[in-house]
Amino acid sequence: MTLKECYAALEGDYEGVIGRLRSEKMVQKFVLKFLNDKSYELLEVSMAEKNYEEAFRAAHTIKGVCQNLSFTKLYESSHRLTDNLRSGYGAETDGLVRQVSEDYKQTIAAIEELQAGNPA
Amino acid sequence: MSYINGKDSPRQTILIADDSEMNRSILTDMLGDEYEIIEAENGVEAVSILQKYGNSISLLLLDIVMPEMDGFGVLTVMNKHRWIEDIPVIVISAENASVHVERAYELGVTEFISRPFDALILHRRVVNTILLYAKQKRLIDLVADQIYEKEQQSGLMVDILSHIVEFRNGESGLHVLHIRTLTEILLKHLGHRNSLYQLPRTEISLICTASALHDIGKISIPGEILNKPGRLTDEEFAEMKKHTLIGAEMLKALPMHQQEPLIKKAYEICRWHHERYDGRGYPDGLKGNEIPISAQVVALADVYDALTSERVYKKAFSHEVAVKMILDGQCGTFNPILMECLKEVESILVEELRGDSDARASRRQMQNVAEELLRHEDLSASERTLQLLEHERMKYSFFADMSEEIQFEYTVAPSMVTLSPFGAKKLGLDEILMDPHNNPEIQVMMGSGTLRALSNELRSTTPEHPQVKYDHEIYIHGEKRWMRTIGRAMWSADEPPRYMGAIGKTTDIHDERTRIDALVQMASHDSLTGLFNHNYARERIRERMEDRQAGVFALAIFDLDHFKSANDNYGHMFEDKVLIHMAEQLRRSTRGGDIAARVGGDEFLIFLEYKEDAEAVVQRIFTSLEGTYEDFRISVSMGVVRTDAVGTDYDTLFHAADQALYAAKRSGRGQYRFYDDTMQEMLSVISPIDGSEEKPVD
Repeated sequence: MTLKECYAALEGDYEGVIGRLRSEKMVQKFVLKFLNDKSYELLEVSMAEKNYEEAFRAAHTIKGVCQNLSFTKLYESSHRLTDNLRSGYGAETDGLVRQVSEDYKQTIAAIEELQAGNPA
Repeated sequence: MSYINGKDSPRQTILIADDSEMNRSILTDMLGDEYEIIEAENGVEAVSILQKYGNSISLLLLDIVMPEMDGFGVLTVMNKHRWIEDIPVIVISAENASVHVERAYELGVTEFISRPFDALILHRRVVNTILLYAKQKRLIDLVADQIYEKEQQSGLMVDILSHIVEFRNGESGLHVLHIRTLTEILLKHLGHRNSLYQLPRTEISLICTASALHDIGKISIPGEILNKPGRLTDEEFAEMKKHTLIGAEMLKALPMHQQEPLIKKAYEICRWHHERYDGRGYPDGLKGNEIPISAQVVALADVYDALTSERVYKKAFSHEVAVKMILDGQCGTFNPILMECLKEVESILVEELRGDSDARASRRQMQNVAEELLRHEDLSASERTLQLLEHERMKYSFFADMSEEIQFEYTVAPSMVTLSPFGAKKLGLDEILMDPHNNPEIQVMMGSGTLRALSNELRSTTPEHPQVKYDHEIYIHGEKRWMRTIGRAMWSADEPPRYMGAIGKTTDIHDERTRIDALVQMASHDSLTGLFNHNYARERIRERMEDRQAGVFALAIFDLDHFKSANDNYGHMFEDKVLIHMAEQLRRSTRGGDIAARVGGDEFLIFLEYKEDAEAVVQRIFTSLEGTYEDFRISVSMGVVRTDAVGTDYDTLFHAADQALYAAKRSGRGQYRFYDDTMQEMLSVISPIDGSEEKPVD
C-alpha cells in the first residue's frame, strides 16, 4: 500500500499534507509514528476514570496531531470532541467519544497496512 | 552572521514546549539540522529549562494547551522575570480563536502560527525571528554602551567642575557631597509628606546631580572676597551675590544642550538658591513657590551645610545649633513644609552625612574600576554586566550547593516557589512549585497553618526590617523535624512599597533542638520515675502560687511505710519497680493542674489547688495510692498543709507538710494528717532538725 492509498483509506488529505510538509518521506515517517502515540489510550483511560480535564487534553492532542498530518476524518471527530469537552462532560460526550474511537480504529488499520508494506 | 552554520561556532538553541511527543518530533525533524533542540513536555518543565539556560535559549516554540502549566502560564512567568524581552516566543497552537491569539500577543509573543502549519513557512519564521532578535540585541548593546559612557562622562564633568569651585573656595570638598545627600533626603521626605511635591525618582536624581553645580558662578568671584576671613563690606557682599547670576549665565551661554533637563535644573538652582520664601533673598526677590522647589531645597541644604562646616570666617556649629538657627529664622525664611521636613529628618541627617566621606572613597574606587574596564574596549558594557551576573550566579549556586541548606525564593505574581537543587532534593519536591498555598505536597509537608503563619510574618515586615526568623516543624519523608526558616521579604521600591515575595533558607535544627529538649528534660525530671524532681517542682509551685494569688492550695508529702522491708525481702530491683508503680498511681490520681514530684528516696510530693474541701481531695488521692504491688502491700503516710494555714512561702509550706508527715507516722502510719498549730514543735521526717542523717522515725 502506498502512502497515498493509506491516506485514502483513513480519509485524509494527501495533497494537503505533502503541500505543507513538503517531503513524502517525512510524512510517511510521522504517519508510522502515529501508531506509537499514546494520546488515544490516555483518552480512553481518562474517560473511564471520568477525568474529563485530562480527557480534554488527550482529545486536544489527537486533534493537533491529526491536523499536522491532515488526517481529516479523525481530525474532525476529535475536533468536535475537544470542543465538547472544553466545557466539561455533557450529554453528547459519549457519542463523540464513540465516533473518535471508530475513526481512530479506521486510521490505525490503514496505517498498519501501510506499515506491512514498508517494514521498518 | 555568516558563520551561523559554521562547524566551529556553537549552534543556537531552540526550546520546544509541547505535550505531544509527535508534535515535538515533527518540529525537531524540521529544525534539528540547523539548531540545537531542547524539549519540554509541559509548562513547568519549560519554565525550569528557561530558568536554567536563560538567554542561551534563542527561541521558544510554545504550545498552549499543556498539562501542569499551560502556555499562557509560561508566558506569564516569562513576563514576570522579563525573560520575554530577551527570548522570542512563537506560539504554535490549534487554539486559533481570536481571544487566544490576542492574549498571546498581549503577553509578548512574536508570532502566532496556527496548526496545521506549513513546514516552509514555519521554518522561515523561526530563522527570521532568531536573526531579528540577534540584530536587535546587538543594537541594544550598542545603545546601552553609549548611554553608559555618556553618563560616566557627564557625572565626571559635574564632579570636576564642582571640585574646581570648591577648591577655589577653600572648602573641604565634602560640601558638594553633603548638599547632594541633604537634597536627596529632603526631596524624598517632602514627597512622602505632601503629594504636591512628589517628584518622580528620575527627577529627584536629576536635581541631586544638578545640586553639585549650585556655586559654579563663584569661579568668577575674586579670590580675596571668596576667602576673606572677616566680614564682607557692602560692596564685597554685592559682588559675592553675583555668583548666582553668573552661574546661571554660564549655563545659559552653553552653546549646546540647552534642552537637557540637567542643564535646566542646574540653571534654576544656580540662579535661585539664595532666594528666600518671604521674598527677601537675591538676586530676583522671588517669593513662595515662585522659587522652584529644586532651588528651595538646595538653598536649605546649602545653609545647613555652611552652618555645620568650618569656614575661613567662622567655626563649625553643631548639628543641634544649626537646626535651631534655621528653625528660628536666623538664616532667612524657608517654606514651612520644608521646615517640617527638616525637623522630621533631623535624626537621620547626622548619620547620613557621616557616611559621605566613605561614599566618596567608594565612588572614587568605582570610577577607577569603570575606567579600568573601559580600557578593555573589546568588552561591551552589557556583556560585562552579563559576565558579572553570570559570575554572581555561579558563586551563588556553588555556595548554595555547599551549604546544605534549603534555599528558596518566593514570588507573589506568579505565585511560585523556587527551591535550590539541594533543597528540592532534601524535601523530595520539584525545584519549581506553582501556587504553593494550594499545593497539596507543601500542605502535607508544612501544614497549612505553618505556611500561612510564615507568610504573615513576612508580609508584616517593613522594607527597613525585612527579616524574620521562624521555627517550625515539617514532615520530611514522613518524619517530623524541627526547622528554622530565616527569610527576607522583598519589597518593591514603589511608594507605598508592595510585597513582591521573599528569599530565605531553612535549616534543620532538629538534632540541636532535641538535644536541648533532652537536657531540659534531664534537668527537670527524676530519671527513675519520670516525675518532676524536687528542684523543678519547687520552681513550678512557686510560679503557680505567684500566678494565681487568689487561689487556695495544699501541699502533701508522703512516703511508703515499711519500704525498707521491701528492699530487704525483694532486693533493689524490686524497690525500683515499686517506686515506678507509685509514680504511675500518682499520675493517675492527680489532675491536670496538680504538680507531682519525687522528692527523693521513697518520698513524693503533690501540690494541688482546691475549691472548698481540701480533705475530700486528699482523701481521694490517699485512697488511690494504697493497694498492693505484686504481693507487697503498699501503705503510705502523708502530711498535708494548706496555704490558708501557713501562707505561701514554699520552704515554710514544705517544712509544715514535713511536720504533719511526722505526726502521721507518730500516730501509727497508714494515714494522712493536716498540719495544725500543735505540730509546731514536731520534728520533721525529711529535714531532721537535729541534723542527723537518719530519719527519726520509720
